[in-house]
Amino acid sequence: MNTLNVQLFDLTTLLFGGASGTYIAAMYGKKETLARIGTWICVAAAVISTVALGVRWAESYQMGIGRIPVTNLYESLVFFAWSVNLFYLFVEWKYKNRTFGAFVIPIAFLTMLFAFTNESSIQPLVPALQSYWLHAHVITCFVGYAAFAVSAGVAVMYFLKARQEEAKTEKGVIGCFPSTKTLDDLVYKSIIWGFPFLTAGIITGAAWANYAWGTYWSWDPKETWSLIVWLVYAAFLHARITRGWHGKRAAILSIVGFLATIMCYLGVNLVLSGLHSYGS
Amino acid sequence: METASDVRAERISASGAIEREQTKPVAIRIWNFLISKKLAIWNLILLAVTSILGTVIQQNQPPEKYRQVYEDWAYNLMDRINLFDMYHSWWFLLLLCLFTLNLTCCTMDRLPRAIRTVRKPKLTLDDAMEKSLPQSERWQIKGDIPRRAEVCKAAIARLFAAPKVTEADGVVHLYAEKGVYSGFGAYATHAGIVIVFIGAIIGNVFGFKSYVNIPDGKEASHLDARGGEEHVNLPFSVRNNRFWVETYPSGQPKKYASDLSVIENSREVLRKTITVNDPLVYKGVWFYQSSYGQEGGATAQVAVSRQDGTPLGSLSLRPNEPVRIDGYGVVRGVNYEQDFQGNGPALQLVIEKPGRPASNLWILQGRSDLDHRRKDSLVFSFGGLTAKMYTGLQVAKDPGVNVVWLGCLLLTAGMMISFFVSHRRVWIRLSPGPHGKVEVAAAGSANRNRPALEKTFASILAEVRNDLTKTEKENPA
Repeated sequence: MNTLNVQLFDLTTLLFGGASGTYIAAMYGKKETLARIGTWICVAAAVISTVALGVRWAESYQMGIGRIPVTNLYESLVFFAWSVNLFYLFVEWKYKNRTFGAFVIPIAFLTMLFAFTNESSIQPLVPALQSYWLHAHVITCFVGYAAFAVSAGVAVMYFLKARQEEAKTEKGVIGCFPSTKTLDDLVYKSIIWGFPFLTAGIITGAAWANYAWGTYWSWDPKETWSLIVWLVYAAFLHARITRGWHGKRAAILSIVGFLATIMCYLGVNLVLSGLHSYGS
Repeated sequence: METASDVRAERISASGAIEREQTKPVAIRIWNFLISKKLAIWNLILLAVTSILGTVIQQNQPPEKYRQVYEDWAYNLMDRINLFDMYHSWWFLLLLCLFTLNLTCCTMDRLPRAIRTVRKPKLTLDDAMEKSLPQSERWQIKGDIPRRAEVCKAAIARLFAAPKVTEADGVVHLYAEKGVYSGFGAYATHAGIVIVFIGAIIGNVFGFKSYVNIPDGKEASHLDARGGEEHVNLPFSVRNNRFWVETYPSGQPKKYASDLSVIENSREVLRKTITVNDPLVYKGVWFYQSSYGQEGGATAQVAVSRQDGTPLGSLSLRPNEPVRIDGYGVVRGVNYEQDFQGNGPALQLVIEKPGRPASNLWILQGRSDLDHRRKDSLVFSFGGLTAKMYTGLQVAKDPGVNVVWLGCLLLTAGMMISFFVSHRRVWIRLSPGPHGKVEVAAAGSANRNRPALEKTFASILAEVRNDLTKTEKENPA
C-alpha cells in the first residue's frame, strides 16, 4: 500500500493524461469547451500535486528524516511535472490561448508516467545532500527546466505554423494556432524566464560544490551538460537578434536546448556516471 | 541583448557592406569578424558540441583504463589531441580565448554607442524619426505653445518621468525616458563572464587543490597534490582527533564527521568538527570531509589483571608486534578469528617468558574467566579489535573564488536587466500649426516589450489630451 502522497501523485498522473487527451481532442475537434475543461483539469492537477508535495514533505518529518521532497529521481520528476504545469497555466492565462496545452501538458504527463515506474518511497538524505544549498539549487534548476519545456513545445508549434504560413493557407488544426510572431515571442519569453533560473541553478550548484567539495567547477558530466544547455540557449538569444538566424534557426536552437536539458536532467544519470546520481 | 532596431540597422549597413567587404583592409575584416554576433553564435555552439566529448569519454583516468577500452591507434590519436583531459587541452582553451576575445571586442565596439545614447539622448523629435517610430500621433489644439508645454510636462512627469524641455525657433520638445540602463544589461553579463574567467585564472595560479589522509590522533601539514602537481607544505598543521560515521536506523550513512584541530606553533588555535557540508577554514585554506578508511591493520585491545582480579591496565597489540611486560615477559598477538570454534571473536597470543618455551593460547572476547583457569600470574582478557580510521580531507585554497562570485552576480544581474528592463522613450513636440493653433506630435519607442510601451504611451497620451482639453476650456487663449 502506497502512502498518501504517492496516491495523490498517481491521481495527478491520471489528471495530466486526461488533460493531454482533452487538449488534443479540443485541438482536432476545434471545441473551445473541451479546451476549457482541459484547463480545469490542469488546475485540479496543480492543486492536488501541490498538496501531495506538502504531504510528502510532512511525511518525511513524521519518519524523522524531514527534508524537502526534491532529492531523488522520483521526487525530481514529480517536481518537474509540477513546475511545467504551473508555468503552462501561467502562459495560458497570460496569452489567452489554449492550443499550447496539446503540446506542453503531454510533457508533464510523460514525466509523471516515467516517475510512476521509479521507486517512490521516502529515503533519508545521504550526507552529501544535507545542505540548505539543495533547496536553492534544485528549485532554480527545475523552474528553468519547466520554462524550457514550455518553450520547446511552442517551438514545435512554430515550425508547423511557419510551414503553413509559407504555403499561405489557414487550414485545419494549425490554422487555429496563434501567428508565428506570437509563437516566436512566446518561445523567447519562456526562455528569458528559464535562462536566468538555469544560470542561478548553475551558480548555486557551483557555490554548493565549492562549499561541499572545495571546487566550484570540476567538469563533472552533470555540470558540463548544464553548461551545454546554457550555451545552447545563449546561442538562441543571440541568434534571435542576428540576421539570418532568427525565426526557424532560433526555434531549432530552442528545441535542441530542451533536448540538451533532458540529457542534462535524465541522460547524465541514466547513461553517464558522476556525482549527481540522485543518491541511488 | 540587442534590439530589433539593431537588427534593422545591421541589415541596412550589411546590405550596403557586402560588396565593399572584399576591398576592406585585412585588419578591419578581422575586427569585423571578432565583433560579429555570428562568431558568438558559432562559438557558443562549438563550445557546446565539443563539451559533449568530455562527458562521453571519462576524463583523467589512468592510461591502462583507456587501453582496455580503445585500440592502440585510437588511444594514441585521442591522447595526441588531449581527449582524456580535454577541458584543459590547448584547443579547448583556444576556443575559450576566442570566446573571451569576441566578448571583449563586442563590448569595445558597442559600449561607446550605448554610453552615447545615455549621455546624449535624442531630445528632439524630427519628422523622419516620427515616421520611423512605432508609436506616434498628431493632433491640433488651441492655445499658446509655452503654456501648453507646461501642461504636457506636468502630465508626463506625473505618469511617466520628468521630461527634458528643449526650445528652438518657437518649437518646444519634451523628452522623457525610463529604464535607460537597460542597454547595459548585456555588457554587464559579458563583463561578468570575463570576470568569472579572471577569477578562475587567479584560483589556478595562486591557489591549490590538494588532498590528505590523516589517521585518528595524528596531524599533518604536508599535503599530496593530486594529478602529479606540486606538493604543498602548510604553515600550520591539522590534527584529526577522531573520525566517525553515524548511520540511520536502516544502516544508511547519515553523517561523516572529523573532529579537527588546527595546530600552529605547537598550540591548538582552532577546533571544529567538520561534516560533508560543513568545512573548516583557516587562513584561507579550506578542509573538506571527503573520504575515510581504515588505517593499516587493526589493533587488539587486551586488558591485563592479576589473578586476584586487580586490574593492571590494558595493551594495544598490533599484529605480531611484541609488547614487553616488566617482570613477566613478552606478549604478541599473532592471530585473530571472527568466530573461533563457534565461540565468537578470539585472539591468539604468544607469550614468551625468560628461560621458558613460548606458550600459545587463544583468548575469547568477553570471557576473562577462561584465562583465569590457566593459573598464570597474569590474566588476559580480549576486549575486541579496534580498527584505526583515517579521514580523507580535500584541502583547497582559492583566492579567486570571490572574484568568481562577483562575476556571477554581475552576469545574473545584467541578464535580468537586459531581459526585463525596457528603455522606453517618449517625445512630445509642440509647434505652431495652421490657423494659429498648436500642433502636438507625440511619439514613443521601447527597445523591448513593445506591448507594454503601447499601453504606457496610450495612457500618457490620454492624460495629456485630457489635461490639454481641460485647460483649453478653463482659459481659452
